Amino acid sequence: MPEEAAIKPPQQVPINSYLVDNPRFPFCKGCGHGHVIRHLNEALVALQIPSKDVALVTDIGCIGLADGLFREIHTVHTTHGRSTAFATGLVLADSILADRRLKTIVLIGDGGAMIGLQHLVHAAMLNVDVTVLICNNFVYGMTGGQGSGLTPECFVTATTPNGNIVPPADICEILKHSSASFVARAIAADRSLPELLAHAISFPGFAAVEILELCTEFAVPSNALTGDKLKEIARSNNWEIGTIVERRDRESFAQRYQASQRSGEESKKESTAGPGFPRHRVLRRPTSIVLAGSAGERVQSSAALFCQVALEHGLFATQKNDNPVTQGTGFSISELWLSPTPIGYTGIEEPDFIIVTSEDGLRELSNQRWFDSMGNRTRVLIDDSLAVPFESPRIERKPLRSTFGPRMSVLGGLVCLAERHQLVTAESLLDAIRSRYGEQSADQIVKGLKRVQEFTG
Amino acid sequence: MPVTSSSVRFRTGNQMIAEGAIQAGCRFFAGYPITPATGIFKAMIDLLPRQGGVALSAPDEISAVAYCIGASMRGLKAMTATSGPGWALMIESVQYALMTEMPLVVAIVQRLGPSTGGATQGGQGDILLAEFATSGGYTIPMLCPTTAQECYELTILAFTWAELYRTPVILLSDKETGMTAERIEDDLLPDVTAQHRPTSGRFHELSESLRGMKRGTYHFDFPQEIPGFFPVGGDRRVTATGSAHDKQGKLQKNSPETIEVLRHLEEKIRWREDDFAVTDGDLQPSAKTLVISYGVTSRSAKDAVKLARKKGHNVSFLGVLSLFPIPQKKIAEALEGVETVIVAEENLRGLYRSMVETLCRGKKVIGVNKIGSMITPLEIYAAILRKNSEQGTQTLLLNGKTTTN
Repeated sequence: MPEEAAIKPPQQVPINSYLVDNPRFPFCKGCGHGHVIRHLNEALVALQIPSKDVALVTDIGCIGLADGLFREIHTVHTTHGRSTAFATGLVLADSILADRRLKTIVLIGDGGAMIGLQHLVHAAMLNVDVTVLICNNFVYGMTGGQGSGLTPECFVTATTPNGNIVPPADICEILKHSSASFVARAIAADRSLPELLAHAISFPGFAAVEILELCTEFAVPSNALTGDKLKEIARSNNWEIGTIVERRDRESFAQRYQASQRSGEESKKESTAGPGFPRHRVLRRPTSIVLAGSAGERVQSSAALFCQVALEHGLFATQKNDNPVTQGTGFSISELWLSPTPIGYTGIEEPDFIIVTSEDGLRELSNQRWFDSMGNRTRVLIDDSLAVPFESPRIERKPLRSTFGPRMSVLGGLVCLAERHQLVTAESLLDAIRSRYGEQSADQIVKGLKRVQEFTG
Repeated sequence: MPVTSSSVRFRTGNQMIAEGAIQAGCRFFAGYPITPATGIFKAMIDLLPRQGGVALSAPDEISAVAYCIGASMRGLKAMTATSGPGWALMIESVQYALMTEMPLVVAIVQRLGPSTGGATQGGQGDILLAEFATSGGYTIPMLCPTTAQECYELTILAFTWAELYRTPVILLSDKETGMTAERIEDDLLPDVTAQHRPTSGRFHELSESLRGMKRGTYHFDFPQEIPGFFPVGGDRRVTATGSAHDKQGKLQKNSPETIEVLRHLEEKIRWREDDFAVTDGDLQPSAKTLVISYGVTSRSAKDAVKLARKKGHNVSFLGVLSLFPIPQKKIAEALEGVETVIVAEENLRGLYRSMVETLCRGKKVIGVNKIGSMITPLEIYAAILRKNSEQGTQTLLLNGKTTTN
């Protein structure tokens, strides 16, 4: 394509400027953003990074207008506070899934840093190779000079006409304690800023530079602010100027991610059902089963194993689970449909079978009024330790827990049902139990079956 | 029917969305835990790295979707998944994806709202909140699966749409579809993958006179055209922005070209409206009643229609799989000769009914609505039986009680 052919390799012709020719800065006279852009340009020129390897991600606010000033480099103008998050995604993809060519720079103001604090913190934690320039002029300039989370105390702004009474957040300290690899603070007009920025950009990993600036339109008139006074503000807030953190002992997220995936590779195996054996379909009409027990007692996993066996019989099956929002405690319920034909509505109006193995399960079934929905053909299998909800020939008490143990009692109950009502063949269910939970568990069920069948309560 | 254990699996809708995404070539997933969507997140964490992709945890839903958009800018297929409360946080960035024409798939597994609502209860209440998430109500294509198999199929389609048309696409699932496991036969899963975003404008190479012209990030010659995609980090300069912009991606205030770009965002979808139409129609030529539904409620509606036919009633059924853009032609076809339209959905106000109603001039439109649990086949069947009675235009089922206004 013609315009691509026109791009000269940078190593042949040095780049004198990354800015457009005769840039017209959209900033007010004397605004610190002008310094930042010029110094950023000087840093890039010093580094001679190929233009197409630079991504400039800008936030909302005056500093966000900067993308229009650059030529050739990629620019991404984003939403308020989110610039760092978009940049993080871009860098994660570039460094793990693409060719690691990008140097990504975020331009964000003090307002953006505060509304998007989470994204700065997480980028620092991940140690993604992003350089964030936090242009702190203490106010939201674009909207008329309101105070931000980084506004110093006593500062007069549109929203703090009597002086700010809330202490400012120290963004550098926050990032330092978020495991940031490089953190520095500078003043926009500093002659050494280009060098610092070049260092931050070439730093491999997360780098943040807070740049203290003058907002000549709003902050300066109300606070008699000067360049010298910026230093004074920094001093009185104990804001260190210069490099605050520089550590090279941290690997990037990309490095650690790739290493952890490699080490995890061997241990991963897709769980599949046991070996295939001849299946014959048993079930003739849609059948619904409700299983109720306690969390941690394999209610839902037993149900899934049972359904898998049903699938292997050529049946259709659905499993709908229910448990308290805190998943590790209280009741655990599975509602199952087995059917020789595809299943539409997965709810159960009138269950064919109910198996109850614990007090938690029984209580919840009562709460959910399952016993009210019992029809003539509903059969209930309930552990003999539990009080039956009402006397009925349709409710059978069986020693499920004491025979099979708490964690195998649902499967034990299902084997009883399977055997008696020909839902699936008991042998195939036992085979599946054997391959999932071992020979011993299957034997335990086989041995217990007789005891349960002969039990008359 | 002889089946081997390897070809038949017991999978939830959430798992099949993850598998569909991988089949579609998704390479990047960032997520944040939320019931009932967590299953997709977990499955992607387990499956995606093995396919050479990246799946990671974000510190919130805003970051999750922003990471995905960033990865998409680099040229990779990306997806995230959430539920109603997380979607509320994602809306800002999804607007950004729409404005920057960045391919993105978001799976919303609905639960009972409003607010944090009921984490473990189902619902179909997010449909319009999801569709009208942009200022201006720009059409966001939306697919809605009813089964675990459709979760797989429609996820692949969602990626195809996102890529081909450079747009966010919503996959609207729900707790019951997402967390209920059912039979999956691998042999029945389509062996297709999603297309990849075109890297140059469709007419780019055709016109001699255009050669050598500086082409912008959002260049199109016709408003319906999809601008060619170039990755940030590629050899061609990208100037992306979520602010109103010209075809170059330059921030503009109300220039005619900016307005043209905004019109194009809607036009590129609307012009292809018929290409987006996916429905599951079961029409009877002589039927005077049509039942329309979507998602989990479609399953009950189908059962209800089957029951009604068994009892000698003529009833048509239309399941809508592509909710937006509204499949107007398919709905119009289904409406032919119909006098009564029943729209069944698990929300109080009849959210999709309010969309469909405008296409049903001169017909009686009845809603079957309920919150808190799935609508049963019998509840829809009851509405089918009542259709001829003159009283009542709307059936609201609250706490299982039927009231007729």
